[in-house]
Amino acid sequence: MDKWKKLTASLLGPAAAIALGLLAGSIAIVIAGGSILETYAEMWKGAFGSLYFLTSTLNRATPVILVGLGAAVAFRSGFFNLGAQGQMALGGLAAALTALYVPGPGWIVAIVSMLVGIAAGGLWSAFAGYMDARFRMNLLITTLLLNYIATLFASYMVAYPFKDKTGSAAMAQSQMIDNAIWLPKLFKGMPAHVGLLLALVAMVALYVYLTRTVSGYEARMMGGNPLFAVYGGVRRTPLMLGVMFASGGLAGLAGAGEVLGSQYRYIDNSFVAADFAWTGIMAALLANAHPIGTAIAAFFLVALQTGGMGVEMNTDVPLEIGDVIQAVLILFITVKFVRGFRRRRKEGDPNGAAV
Amino acid sequence: MEQLFDLALFNSALRMLTPILLAALGGALCARVGLFNVGLEGLMLIGAFSAIVGNHYFGNTGAAIAFSIGCVSLFALLFAYLCIHLRANVIVVGIAMNLLAAGLTTFSLRTLFNVKGAYYNKDMVGLPKWEIPLIKDIPVVGDILSGHSPLVYLAIVLVGAMWYYFYRTIGGFRFLAAGDNPLAARSLGIQVRRYQYGAMLACGVLCALAGAQLSLGQVTMFTEGMTAGRGFIALVATMLGQSGPLGVAAASLLFGLMDAFSIRLQGFAMPSHFTQMVPYAVTIAAMFFFKNKEFVKDAQSSGTSSR
Amino acid sequence: MLLKMEGISKNYGDVRANRQIDYDLKPGEVHAIVGENGAGKTTLMRILYGMEQPSSGTIRIGGREVRFADPKDAIAHGIGMVHQHFMLFQNFTVAENIVIGKEPGKLRFDRKAAIAQVEALSEKYGIRVDPRARIVDCPLGVQQRVEILKVLYQGAEIIILDEPTGVLTPLEVGELLEAIRTLTKQGKSFILISHKLNEVMSAADRITVLRDGEVTGVLEASRTSIEELSRLMVGRPLAAMDKQPALPKDKVLEVKELSVLGSGSKPAVDSVSLHVRAGEIVGIAGISGNGQSELLQAISGLIKPAGGTVALLGADVTGKSAREFRNAGLAHIPEDRYVWGASKSATVAETGTMGHQRKLGKLGFLQGRIVKARVSEWIKQYAIKAGSPDNETQNLSGGNLQKLIVAREIAQQTPFLIAAEPTRGVDIGAMETIHEQLLRKRDAGGAILLVSSELSEILKLSDRILVMYEGKIVGELQEGDATEEKLSLLMVGGKRNG
Repeated sequence: MDKWKKLTASLLGPAAAIALGLLAGSIAIVIAGGSILETYAEMWKGAFGSLYFLTSTLNRATPVILVGLGAAVAFRSGFFNLGAQGQMALGGLAAALTALYVPGPGWIVAIVSMLVGIAAGGLWSAFAGYMDARFRMNLLITTLLLNYIATLFASYMVAYPFKDKTGSAAMAQSQMIDNAIWLPKLFKGMPAHVGLLLALVAMVALYVYLTRTVSGYEARMMGGNPLFAVYGGVRRTPLMLGVMFASGGLAGLAGAGEVLGSQYRYIDNSFVAADFAWTGIMAALLANAHPIGTAIAAFFLVALQTGGMGVEMNTDVPLEIGDVIQAVLILFITVKFVRGFRRRRKEGDPNGAAV
Repeated sequence: MEQLFDLALFNSALRMLTPILLAALGGALCARVGLFNVGLEGLMLIGAFSAIVGNHYFGNTGAAIAFSIGCVSLFALLFAYLCIHLRANVIVVGIAMNLLAAGLTTFSLRTLFNVKGAYYNKDMVGLPKWEIPLIKDIPVVGDILSGHSPLVYLAIVLVGAMWYYFYRTIGGFRFLAAGDNPLAARSLGIQVRRYQYGAMLACGVLCALAGAQLSLGQVTMFTEGMTAGRGFIALVATMLGQSGPLGVAAASLLFGLMDAFSIRLQGFAMPSHFTQMVPYAVTIAAMFFFKNKEFVKDAQSSGTSSR
Repeated sequence: MLLKMEGISKNYGDVRANRQIDYDLKPGEVHAIVGENGAGKTTLMRILYGMEQPSSGTIRIGGREVRFADPKDAIAHGIGMVHQHFMLFQNFTVAENIVIGKEPGKLRFDRKAAIAQVEALSEKYGIRVDPRARIVDCPLGVQQRVEILKVLYQGAEIIILDEPTGVLTPLEVGELLEAIRTLTKQGKSFILISHKLNEVMSAADRITVLRDGEVTGVLEASRTSIEELSRLMVGRPLAAMDKQPALPKDKVLEVKELSVLGSGSKPAVDSVSLHVRAGEIVGIAGISGNGQSELLQAISGLIKPAGGTVALLGADVTGKSAREFRNAGLAHIPEDRYVWGASKSATVAETGTMGHQRKLGKLGFLQGRIVKARVSEWIKQYAIKAGSPDNETQNLSGGNLQKLIVAREIAQQTPFLIAAEPTRGVDIGAMETIHEQLLRKRDAGGAILLVSSELSEILKLSDRILVMYEGKIVGELQEGDATEEKLSLLMVGGKRNG
């Protein structure tokens, strides 16, 4: 009984957020001179209208879910890792280069490439964790600044030493990887690839880790009150390095999966343009860093983007309509924190209410 | 071959440091009343965009800046309301504000100007360059100090004004007191919230100016995400300067110089990728000044100050 | 009558913090309010000072009914409050702290005038301070004088002193009582809130006793006794504790020449050596802020010492992490339950798991069912009002959370236990439970290091007492030998003769 009540209460927030987001979207549609119903119908079609659209939404959601899970595990532990963009870029680049230059049977190279991608993203992220643990350098800011450095570095690599010079175009991209290494598609001729299954496995694994394991318990306590965790015998530095490695590793895997399963080469700026990293972080924020909620939120946010493309194709409303709805959703996550606070105040301790 | 250091480098450093300095002063105001403002980047981006919008519709830089201030203040007030009245987590709201700014400017760029990526119009006027009558004739100093947009001079004046406010006026004294020990300030009937709102609003105005300097002062255009992390660099400047106006100015000067330096390096045979990394790398290096504090002590002091 | 409060009630949800309280104050009088933690003293004063609104009841000053929306109103009506935790701005000077809120100057803050005014005020009331000193550099006694001068500067006629002697040395307490006498002669009135009955008896003219939010007596100080007051405060005779003599065995904790750096030039802990044997409780007495916190953090692995060694059961654990200390046989009741002892957003079961998580793990998985069963057992055994183990920790009252923490740490069944301020801010019932558990642990052969700023607690539980002053151990007394007077002297750095 109590559990059901809790569940409905926890669903109320997201439902209200979605309603408000759609309302704001409606206003934007009217401003842009479109019809609300028609636009939303097109949006639905663009996201889920056919198996092709659905699988392309799923395809795009794959890296976003992975990044979101990575952000979620860091947020739950109280570490604001905002460096997914750089971690993903390095993961993608490392996977592409491995796939291009390591010999061997296709599936082995594919696995090795993904592992290298995880390692690249994970180490880059753990580096920021190390700077925080060792030198007390604010993680939130270093991860952000490292984004720029990593992205620029990856751009350089495919603009100069590893540039694909076979093509006629002057695009900054690596060579195409051998198709024996490509990740298999889930449905023939459809965009979604095996990476999606990996993302779902990661989601379940993360859920189990956080709720059932000793280390996950320690991570959550670290997020709740770090001094309490340290007092209780949780070692902050190893935990931080581990969590940051996992967090960046998931972002690196997102990049690797995108390269091996979708783009088949590292194309400069393609991850940034699709906004995978920040959408994933938004998903984690929306779901309060709950793993399953993060995956659902990631799918929903991506549906807004692919739906927006459908809208642009078939109506006069620009695809950025999805951005507006997202922006309102993001504002709403802060309101969620408020609800928790109100309740606290009512039960309040008399000494804390001197505001 | 071009020279690496000359007077023009310092001249452009002054131009580049201005947005960082303005935003960092705003960040310092917030930090002094216990709000760690991660949203500087977003506020600055909204400022840059709305300055261009104002310029487009009013055709007048003064009105453009006023419009920009109005827009950013609105968002700053929303930010303040969420953090202060609704007690939402300041960092989460700050991150949300950055995402909101990125989304809204992209959407508005598309609906208002019907372009993607960047908006440029040759009819738009940028901020004027002021030649300062006497100073411009002084040999070295004149070359560095003269010929900037008014916002550059305003930023320098604001450093002094903030110093005077903090350390010489009653209002500034109470402002610092409200941040030093909010509980004690409240027990004296000082309206801590009012100072917090004031700080956030002033921060909004400063970020609007910072954005305007980016989109109207340095160039006359808007590109998506044109703040490019300057808000976060400003945040580091706030931390390095320990939220004092003079310290913040010194840290901003360092970062401005690095910004100018990175542009200058492009004249050399070096891929632009590496030259563009310079400001970020230097910022991270500068953060080393914050080491040497044990986590437990750090967390304790931050824990008690927020209680 | 200067002040009259009638029928004051205050409810927080279902909790009735004040019930129909009457209180009055004459000019030049010291009227004390005494009561246990949670009796409603603080709530009543917050109402008088405008920090809370009463649910019902009236306040009259000089016969006129008043309503205070915030402290500013109260200050304007001549009420000043010296809070238990001083409300001072650490980085500002004494003069700045006194004049704040009513600064001389219009827009520009005239600091010279401020210093002159503070000097004049200090002269007038005979309370000496250096207006140019920064608060961080002032001892607590001076800080309290600053607080009193501040309320006088604001023009207070009624001065509320909330637990004013908690952080003072006996000498400073004497000076405070002297200052109160001087000021009452000049017509000021005092409301003295305290739970230290002997001080109340020596300072107050009248005493109001509160229990569970109600007045249980209003007495003339000259016609009552400490016994009568404590009976009215507690409402039942206290259970007599039977404490057997200690049977100390092997050394469990051995600390040698331990030093911890302080924030200034002086070390926070200065070359401290001590040991605790199995089966004894060693108490550390001292005025808070003399290095006890740092000592505890260094011997529980939370901070790294600058020098010296710590050994647990013979194993050197100096500079190791808290986990290694725990593995070596430490359990720890922390001095601040909210800072160290719990996570507010975690469930009761989760807060109760901390420190046990690695023992309750199986192949890296936490055994949720066992955890909940254990916590439920503690809830029963210690009579913790927690609802279910799935309840959030922040919904627990201070006393119940403290019992949960004590249960958790005792259940570690380690050879060594640190008990820091184990009963701070809890009611009598919880205090009795906690004391009983500590003694039981000792009798079972546990070594306990007790740190408390309450002398009565130290005297009641300890088999051996060490006194800490300015980071050093300045004296050691055996149970039978220790008296409150001897300890007080040592606590302020006085030498023990012989």
